[in-house]
Amino acid sequence: MIIAAALCPSPPLLIGDLTGAACVLPELRLACEQAVAGLLAARPDVVAVVGAGERTMVADAAARLDVAAFAPGIGGAVSARKDTLPTSLGVGGWLLDQAGYAGERLLRSVAHSESAQRCGRIGADLAAGSAKTALLVLADGSACRDLKAPGYFDERSHGFDAEVERAVRAGDVGALLAIDAGLASELMATGRPAWQVLAGALRGKRLTTQIGYCDDPFGVAYLVASLRVG
Amino acid sequence: MPPKQTTLRLRGHSFAPERLLVMAIVNRTPDSFFDAGLTWEESAAMERVHQVIADGADIIDVGGVPAAPGQQVDVTEEIRRTAPFIAAVRGAYPDVAISVDTWRHEVAAEVCAAGADLVNDSWGGRDAKLPAVVAEYGAGLVCAHVGKQQPRTRPFRVRYPDVMADVIEATERLAARALEAGVDRAGIVVDAAHDFGKNTWHSLEVTRRLAEMTATGWPVLVSVSRKDFIGETLDLPLQDRLAGTLATTSVCAWLGGRIFRAHDVAQTRQVLDMVAAIKGDQPPARAVRGLT
Repeated sequence: MIIAAALCPSPPLLIGDLTGAACVLPELRLACEQAVAGLLAARPDVVAVVGAGERTMVADAAARLDVAAFAPGIGGAVSARKDTLPTSLGVGGWLLDQAGYAGERLLRSVAHSESAQRCGRIGADLAAGSAKTALLVLADGSACRDLKAPGYFDERSHGFDAEVERAVRAGDVGALLAIDAGLASELMATGRPAWQVLAGALRGKRLTTQIGYCDDPFGVAYLVASLRVG
Repeated sequence: MPPKQTTLRLRGHSFAPERLLVMAIVNRTPDSFFDAGLTWEESAAMERVHQVIADGADIIDVGGVPAAPGQQVDVTEEIRRTAPFIAAVRGAYPDVAISVDTWRHEVAAEVCAAGADLVNDSWGGRDAKLPAVVAEYGAGLVCAHVGKQQPRTRPFRVRYPDVMADVIEATERLAARALEAGVDRAGIVVDAAHDFGKNTWHSLEVTRRLAEMTATGWPVLVSVSRKDFIGETLDLPLQDRLAGTLATTSVCAWLGGRIFRAHDVAQTRQVLDMVAAIKGDQPPARAVRGLT
């Protein structure tokens, strides 16, 4: 049973050391921190971390983000590591570590290519167990919101992200499940499968959403939200 | 012992192993990141060629398409921007090596016919037909590492288990492909391609470990001028990145880089001459201190 959910983006720049001497986007970091704190305040039996990756799988709960894959020189020796955890899950796990969470965690990745139906099913399965489950969903909006964006400017990105934000605010799981996977991929909106897992997990529930952050400082749409169930 | 550096041969131009080379950037674009259209007009571009040769450039690198995403430039337009200009430079300077910055084989064919000696494929071998064209003209080829990045895109959350291992694997694979296509062995150059498919940490790492790349024996092209990893490291805008560029150039020259692609040719020439003297590969221009 899902008792609470939080939505955070997963740019590597959330990991403090990766941005060098500067503290980049402190307000985004704070919003994520608060969303995770809210999730843990619900006293879950398990935190399910959900994010998109190369494959659909459950990763080793002890796995952590390979920081050296992004920043050789600060993340430990090259030879001793295995680069397996998707960035989304790695950032989610890092947020839990930062919050001091030492309880049970489930690291669930969903392939970028997974259909909406299948994502919804994965979400429903997460909700089906009797354990009090908190969902930490790592999902990013389009990366094409201006000329300096990673994916350059695509005029469709603003409408796309606005619809995601609206659906999250309204708890409109049907709209999240209806997100066009092809368009999401063209806009580099890597969060699509994770939003749809969230939708599948919360289908039929009464939701209260609080938005902690919604902006695109680097041309990528970041959305932080806390979703209370019931 | 790693293989020794050997003579670099770009069609009719030969460069001894210990000679550090400046490759001067001449953009035939209205929108490149640093010069922003300064040499878009052909007369301005030719004016820059005169200047960079006077400043000590060994190779002129002509580009018709900016690296950043933006206005589409198709094959016809890229040829229109580069080939006639290269023919003009060839006519004016028969002894200077000319490079073209392109990933497209159709463009390479036209510019080699116009006199280009080196194809600087900075997008890492995206066009599989390119090496055969380069071979046909007896030109040299730059084999660059860009990870999984497509031409004219930006890196997005790129990660590597070991970025330098990836650089060496990819550039050696491209070099082998070039050899197989018949490209002159003495004209193959490798490039770690700072900032391409890399974040700032990755570019710093390939700089720090450049000696691993020079140890492969292939001549290494270093293309760092005014790039974002320097800007991010020093927190400085484009116009203030010269010192950072020259510091990076100096480290890379010390670690065995051979060719240095530069906006600021006179300053780069000085840095390379200084490093060559420190290495003992080149005597001081004039040494009388304490000797009189």
